[in-house]
Amino acid sequence: MMHDWLPALFMGLAGAGHCLMMCGGIAAAVTGTTRPWQVVVYNLGRITSYAIAGAIIAATLGGLANVAPHGLIVLRILAAFVLVAFGLYLGQWWFGLRHLERLGLPWWRKLQPWAARLRQGQVTTPGLFLAGMLWGWLPCGLVYSALSWAALSGSATSGAFYMLLFGLGTFPAMVGFGWFSRSVQQLLQAHGFRQLMGGLMILYGLWTLIIALKQLQVL
Amino acid sequence: MSAPLPAVPANVCYHCLQPLPEDGGYTVVLAEQEVPVCCYGCQAVAETIAQQNLLHFYRYRDTSNPLQVPLLPEELQQLTAYDDEQLQQQFTRHDEHGLRSINLSVEGMTCSACAWLIEQHLGRVAGVRKVQVNATTERVYIQWQPEQAKLSELLHAMAELGYRALPFQAANQEQEFKRRRRYFVKRLGVAGIGMMQVMMIAVGLYFGVVSDLTPDLQQFMWWVSFLMTTPVLFYSAQPFFASAIRSLQAGRPNMDVPVTFALISTYGASAYATIMNRGEVYFESVTMFTFFLLVGRYFELLARQKAVAAASNSIKLLPAVAQRVLPSGELESVSVSQLQLGDIVQVLPGTTVPADGALLSDTAHVNESILTGESRLIQKRQQETVLAGSVNQQQPIRLRVTATQQETVLASIIELQDLALSRKPKLALMAETMADKFVSRILMLSGLTFLIWTFIEPNEAFWVALSVLVATCPCALSLAAPTAVTGAIHKLNKSGILLRNADMLQVLPDIKTIFVDKTGTLTTGEFKLQQLHCYAHEHIDEQAVRAVVQAIESYSEHPLAAALTQLTKKSVNVTEVQTVIGYGLQAVWTPPGTADAEPIRVGSLRFVREWHPQFQPQLTAAQVFVATPETVLAELHVGDRIRPDTPATIAALQAQGIEVIMLTGDRQDLAEQVAQELAIQQVYGDLLPADKLAKVTAAQEQGPVAMIGDGLNDGPVLAQADVSITFGHAADLARTAADVILLRNEFSALTHCRDITLTAQQILKQNIRWALIYNVGIIPVAMAGFVTPYIAAIGMSLSSLIVLLNSLRLYR
Repeated sequence: MMHDWLPALFMGLAGAGHCLMMCGGIAAAVTGTTRPWQVVVYNLGRITSYAIAGAIIAATLGGLANVAPHGLIVLRILAAFVLVAFGLYLGQWWFGLRHLERLGLPWWRKLQPWAARLRQGQVTTPGLFLAGMLWGWLPCGLVYSALSWAALSGSATSGAFYMLLFGLGTFPAMVGFGWFSRSVQQLLQAHGFRQLMGGLMILYGLWTLIIALKQLQVL
Repeated sequence: MSAPLPAVPANVCYHCLQPLPEDGGYTVVLAEQEVPVCCYGCQAVAETIAQQNLLHFYRYRDTSNPLQVPLLPEELQQLTAYDDEQLQQQFTRHDEHGLRSINLSVEGMTCSACAWLIEQHLGRVAGVRKVQVNATTERVYIQWQPEQAKLSELLHAMAELGYRALPFQAANQEQEFKRRRRYFVKRLGVAGIGMMQVMMIAVGLYFGVVSDLTPDLQQFMWWVSFLMTTPVLFYSAQPFFASAIRSLQAGRPNMDVPVTFALISTYGASAYATIMNRGEVYFESVTMFTFFLLVGRYFELLARQKAVAAASNSIKLLPAVAQRVLPSGELESVSVSQLQLGDIVQVLPGTTVPADGALLSDTAHVNESILTGESRLIQKRQQETVLAGSVNQQQPIRLRVTATQQETVLASIIELQDLALSRKPKLALMAETMADKFVSRILMLSGLTFLIWTFIEPNEAFWVALSVLVATCPCALSLAAPTAVTGAIHKLNKSGILLRNADMLQVLPDIKTIFVDKTGTLTTGEFKLQQLHCYAHEHIDEQAVRAVVQAIESYSEHPLAAALTQLTKKSVNVTEVQTVIGYGLQAVWTPPGTADAEPIRVGSLRFVREWHPQFQPQLTAAQVFVATPETVLAELHVGDRIRPDTPATIAALQAQGIEVIMLTGDRQDLAEQVAQELAIQQVYGDLLPADKLAKVTAAQEQGPVAMIGDGLNDGPVLAQADVSITFGHAADLARTAADVILLRNEFSALTHCRDITLTAQQILKQNIRWALIYNVGIIPVAMAGFVTPYIAAIGMSLSSLIVLLNSLRLYR
C-alpha cells in the first residue's frame, strides 16, 4: 500500500491555502521573530505531533480492522468519504467537515493551558519545539482527513510515515510563510485554485471508493 | 487590552477572513469583543491567540484584498507623481465636458478574465466614467472626472488587483514588443531542442529502431528524456502556468488550466515511471504539447503586434524636436512636449509636422498618408489646419499651433483604432464565453472518463483521461475570434478605414440597404462653376463677365461665392460693393467699350428681375445671374461634381444586391439628375433632417440599414442607422460620431470596406465552425481511448494552427 503515500503529501500541498489562512498568523505571531530556523523548529514540532497522531490512529484502527472481516476495506470507504468531504470543504461547497473538527475540541481544551504556560518562559529551542507540538493538536479538518487516510495504512510506522508526508506537504506553506512571494500566497488562497484542488480531492475520493467497492465485489 | 480591535469586512471570519458559513458560524470573545468565526479551528486558534496575549496579530495584520500587489513606498511616490498637471499633459486628453481620459499599459494581463476583473473593479471607483480594457494590446482606456479621482488613485486601484499599470507611451512599445517576442523565442528554442531530442528517443523506443533494447538501455533512455523534458516544462511552459494562475485568481478558469494540469500530470506520472522503472512514459507528449502551444501563442503575438504596430508607428514618426519661431524672428529648438498653444513653429521641407496648426504661409503641400493612407499631395491654403504627422513637401512653412500631443488629430485616430480593438463583435464574445465554458466541462469530462475507465481498464484510466484533457483543449476556439478580428481591423486601418466599434465587422456584411446623402458624399462637396451662359453683347464678352463676377464675389461671404472667386486671370475694378441680404451684391464698374461707370448686380433671379421683370432664365439649374440696368449679361450654375469613382462603386454595390437610396435636402429635380447619372432608382429630395430620419426608421423595419453621409450635418440620421459611415475629413474626426470613418476621400472605400468585412466574417465563421467541429468531434474518440497523449497533442496543436493560418490570410 506504499503507493498511497502520494495523496497524503498532496493533501498537505492542496491545503496550503487553508493552512496559511488558519495558522499563518500564529506561525508569525508565536515565533515573534522571523528567524528561519526558529520557524522550522516550531513546524517540526507540529509535524511530530501529526506523526504521533498518525501512529496512534493507524495502530488502533489498523488493529481493529485486522480483526474485523473486510475491516480495511470499510476503513477505505470511510476514508474515501472523508476525502470527498475535504474536497467539498476546500472548494467551499459544503462545510460538513467542521463537525469533524468538533471532535478535536475537548482534546484541545486540555492542552490549551500548557500552551499558555510554555509561552511565559524564555524562548528556547526545545520550548519552541514543544509549542509546535502543541500547535499540532489544534482542531483542524485538514489534519483529520489526513488522519483518516493514515488509518488505512495498517501499522503504526506507516501511519506515522503518512502523516509525516502530510506534514511535509504543509511545510512549504507554513515555513515559507514569510519568504514566499505574495503572488504564490495569492494563488494558494485564490478561490479558483481552492475549487480546483477541491475538485481533485473529490475525484480522488470517488476513485478510492470505487476501488474499495470493487474489492468488496459490490461492483 | 482596552483598545478595540480593528473591524473586518462583514460576513467573513474574524480569524481567517474567509466567508462565514450561511448559518452564521461561531463566535469568540477577543479583547472583550464578540467576533464571528467560521469554524471550531478558527475558534480554537483565536482563543489561543487571546490567551497568549498575541492580540497584536489582529491589530497589525493586513485585512485587505489578498490579491493585492504590495507596492513599495517609492512606487507609491511614483504614482502620486503622475498627479502632476504638467506631466499629465503628455498622456491624458481632455474633452469639452471636463472629463479626462488616459491609456494605460498594463503589466501582467494574460487573459480575458483579467480584462473582466479590471473593468469591474475600476468601474466601481468614484469618478470613473468609462473603462475599456483591451486584452489584445494590454491597454486600459479610462475616462474619469478629475475632480473626483486622482490618476494615482486609479493606478493604485489597478495595483490592488495585482496589475502594474503605467501611462502608455508609444515610444516604449517597440521595446516592449521586442521583449515579448524574445520571451517567446527563447522558450520556443528550448522547447524545440528538447522536443527533437525526446522525440528521437521516443521514435527509437516505439518502433524498435534500437533492436536489442535491454531494460537497462530503456531506462537510460527514459532518464535522458526525463532530463531533456525538465527544462521544457519548467522554463518553456511558464507562460501557460502564469496565465492559468491568473485566471484561477479571477475565478474564471481559462484553457491554460487544463493545459497546465495536463502538462504537470503527464510529466509527474512519466517522472514517477522513470524513477520506479515501470509503467509508461510520455515525455514526448509534454515537449510536443508545449512546443506547439508556444508556436500558436507566438503567431498570435506576432499577428497582434502587427495590428498594433501600425498605429504606434505613426506616433513614432512625430518628431521629438520642433523649431519654434521667437518674437524676435529667431528660431529655437524645443522639445515637442514643450510646445504651447499659439506658438509659431517652422517646418522645413521633407520633415514631419510636429503639432496641429493653422497655416500662416500662403500655401503648403503636404502628404497626409500617415493619417489617411492616401499618398496624394494635398494643398493647404492660409489659415487651413495642417495636421501633426503630415509631411511638408515643398517650401518651408510656418504654423500657429492649435493642438499638441494627445489633443492632435493623429492621437485621436490612434485612440479610435485602439477603441475598436477593445470592443469585440458579438460572435467573438460568443466564441470566448464558449471557450470559457468548455474549460470547466473538459475538466469534468476528463474526471468522468477517469472514473469510467477505472472499471474498464484501471491501468489505462489515467492516460485516457489525460488524452481527453489535451485533445479537447479549446485552444482553437479561443484563438478563432481574436485573430480574425485583429486581422480585419489591421487591414481596414491600412486602407484608411477606421471602425469605432468592432461590432461593425459583423453588422456590415448583413446590410442590404444603404442610404446615401448627395452633397459631399456622392459628390465631392467642393462647389465649382458648372455652367455659364452668356447673352450676346457687343462689348462685353465672356472673359469680361467672368472678371467682373470674380471681382464682386470676392467681397461676399455667401457659401456659393467661394466657387466664383477664381474664374479668370483678368482683373477689373469694381467700387461701392454692397451686399443686399437674401438677394446678392450690387457694385459699380466701368464696362469695356464705354467710359461711364454704371451699376451691376450679381445675385438671385429675384434680384435681377427687379430690373428685368420679364426675364426668363435659359439654364434650369442656374442660381446666379448677372445684369446691368439695360440687359441681363449671364446666368451661372454653381454645383459640385460627382466623385469620379462614385458610378463604379454604386454599380458594384447594386450588383451585389444592395439597394442604394439617395436622401438629400436638395431640390428634387437636381437630385433626380444626379440619381439618373448614377442609376440610382430611389431618390428622395427636399428632405428636412426629420424626414430623412423617418425614411431610415421606416426602412429599418425590413432589416438593418447603413447610412453614409456628412458626419457633421446628418448626425441624427447617422445615429439612427445600424451602421453609420462618414467621410472623415480628418480634421473633423473628433466631432463625428459615425461607426465607420473613411479617411481616404474616395467613394470606393465603401466597397473596399464591405469586402474586407465580408472576408473577415467568413474567416471568423470558418474558424469557429472548424474549432467547434474539432472540439466536439474529438470528445467521443478521446473518451473511447483511441487517442494516445501524443496524438492528442498533435491534434490539438494542428487544430489551432489551422485557425491561426486561416486568420493570417487577412494580413496579406
